[in-house]
Amino acid sequence: MEGRPVIACHRTQTRARNDDDHPRMAVSVHFGEALVLGLASGPACIAACGPVLVPSLLAERAGFRPHARYLSVFLGARLAGYLLFAAVAWEIGALVSLPSGPRVLLMGVVNLLLGGVLIWYAWSARNLCGLSCAGEKLVKIGEKKNRRAAGPAALGLLTGLSLCPPFVAAGVRAAELGSVAQALLFFFFFFIGTSVWFMPFISFGCIARNEAVITVARMAMALIALYYLSLGIAMLIGRKTYGY
Amino acid sequence: MATNACVPRFVRPEPRGIGWSILLTLPIAVWTLLMGFHPGTNTDPKSRIAAAITAIFMTALFFMMMRTGSTYRWRRIFFVTLGVLFPVGFIYSNVIARGTMGIPVEEMIAGRTPFCFMPIPLLILPAAFTRTVVFPGTITHGIAAMVGIWLALTLVLGKGWCSYACFFGGIEEGVAAIPARAKIRKLDPRWRYGPWAVLLAMVLLSLALFEPAYCTWLCPFKAVSEYIAARNTVGLIQNAIFILLFAGLVIVLPFLTKKRTQCSWFCPFGAFQSIFNKISAFEVKIDKERCKPCLACQNACPNLSLSKESIARGEALMSCMKCGACVDACPRQAVVWHIKGTGAACKPERARLMFLYSAWAMAVMFGGSIIAQGVATILHFIG
Repeated sequence: MEGRPVIACHRTQTRARNDDDHPRMAVSVHFGEALVLGLASGPACIAACGPVLVPSLLAERAGFRPHARYLSVFLGARLAGYLLFAAVAWEIGALVSLPSGPRVLLMGVVNLLLGGVLIWYAWSARNLCGLSCAGEKLVKIGEKKNRRAAGPAALGLLTGLSLCPPFVAAGVRAAELGSVAQALLFFFFFFIGTSVWFMPFISFGCIARNEAVITVARMAMALIALYYLSLGIAMLIGRKTYGY
Repeated sequence: MATNACVPRFVRPEPRGIGWSILLTLPIAVWTLLMGFHPGTNTDPKSRIAAAITAIFMTALFFMMMRTGSTYRWRRIFFVTLGVLFPVGFIYSNVIARGTMGIPVEEMIAGRTPFCFMPIPLLILPAAFTRTVVFPGTITHGIAAMVGIWLALTLVLGKGWCSYACFFGGIEEGVAAIPARAKIRKLDPRWRYGPWAVLLAMVLLSLALFEPAYCTWLCPFKAVSEYIAARNTVGLIQNAIFILLFAGLVIVLPFLTKKRTQCSWFCPFGAFQSIFNKISAFEVKIDKERCKPCLACQNACPNLSLSKESIARGEALMSCMKCGACVDACPRQAVVWHIKGTGAACKPERARLMFLYSAWAMAVMFGGSIIAQGVATILHFIG
């Protein structure tokens, strides 16, 4: 608690005093606010997660069910990333503003991991066209189930940790709450609000998969991975060179 | 039935007579003079000389197209000249304006970044989401004009833009023309999907980063136009990427493969233009009855836009740039210019003429001014 910025402490005390008068109403207002904030931030979330989500979804098998499963795992892991970061940041008092050094280190490592996972995912999708273009039964025989869950889970977790602008906005607001549990609930409702915007991605299941779509998706993943890798390297080198 | 009614001749056409060729060239000659000397153009003597040289050059090339019946080699001379002279004029004007070829961040913040057509597909999603143009330029001074020119040319030519207007592709086409034979002949057809992948990745990253990601991270032509002034690690990495991509895709691979590898495997704008091939009136068709699949057209295509499957279907792939290489290469004249909605085998030369008038008029208007600027720069240096 000592590390938390002074301004946040003042606000927390003021908020706590007001909340004492009407505790239930205050809690529901907080979570309603989190939900609305999530809904309002949805497009920014889509923009931030799009480079990871869209090509990896296109590298999936066609059909609503695989896409719904993928999105569920991705969003669940993203929520886990949110909550993990929020809990740690709350404990060290850095939810409002993470100091520059650790932030750059965290972002650099997350970007490198994101690049690495994307490359692995693009590589592991190499046989997907053959499987997708075959009949349903053959697809099931050939399916690698580990990849199906581990890929979206890793990508979701890392995008959850990658401090996108909507997440920072929610963090500033959550820091004003009275306890870590309330902050985590705030993030949960914020996440629900943003997740509504991800539902249309299930319709990607309608896009027929053939060699062209799978290859384009894999190549795009590799390119985006290179972007994240070069950004991660630049952040880590820059941190060492310039000392921030 | 109309198709059967007009079966074209089965012999290579004789060169046109000089008089008839001059007559066909006359409208283009008038147009080049209008473009070079219309009121408002630069009146200093060197610019006048440059405009005159450009007018003669463009008219002469069109005359040769009319006279010989060949399209590709004359277009290539124009295109390579455009590709070589664009950096000459552009770098010179940048150095005059700001003293360096590199664009500093202050210039970007001030909205003084020159706008080329490459970021157009990257601006669409951010504009749709936020009503903001994510480019550090000025709409009234550069962006609107370039988008207007692009739209006009694209609606008429489709992906013909990449053969008659793009001021980047000429360098690799020139390099590809140097070796007599390709050193690498077996090319994996899956690389053809590369431009679509780059387009997808860059559109998504542009939305996420709120900047034209291709320009800041991947454009090979930053190496010969306007690099980012490297003041930190990110800038150094970006410039290293530009130079490596330029060396690999624009110099080494075209030399080894005799193909326009940057256009065929990488350029996201080319993928975007392919979509507009669907609405353009002009296309290349293959007469299936006359075609004995010798694959001369496939080998000649600099853009890998013909495959065995597409030849069997009687058409080029949607990435066709309408450069005319396949038409010129076909020994049986089975590959022809065609206007959509007309009979497949009817008057291919008429379709060629209609396409060339449109394409060359726009090439004179857009590329001609760039060539004139490059020539004027060279004249300035000569003294």
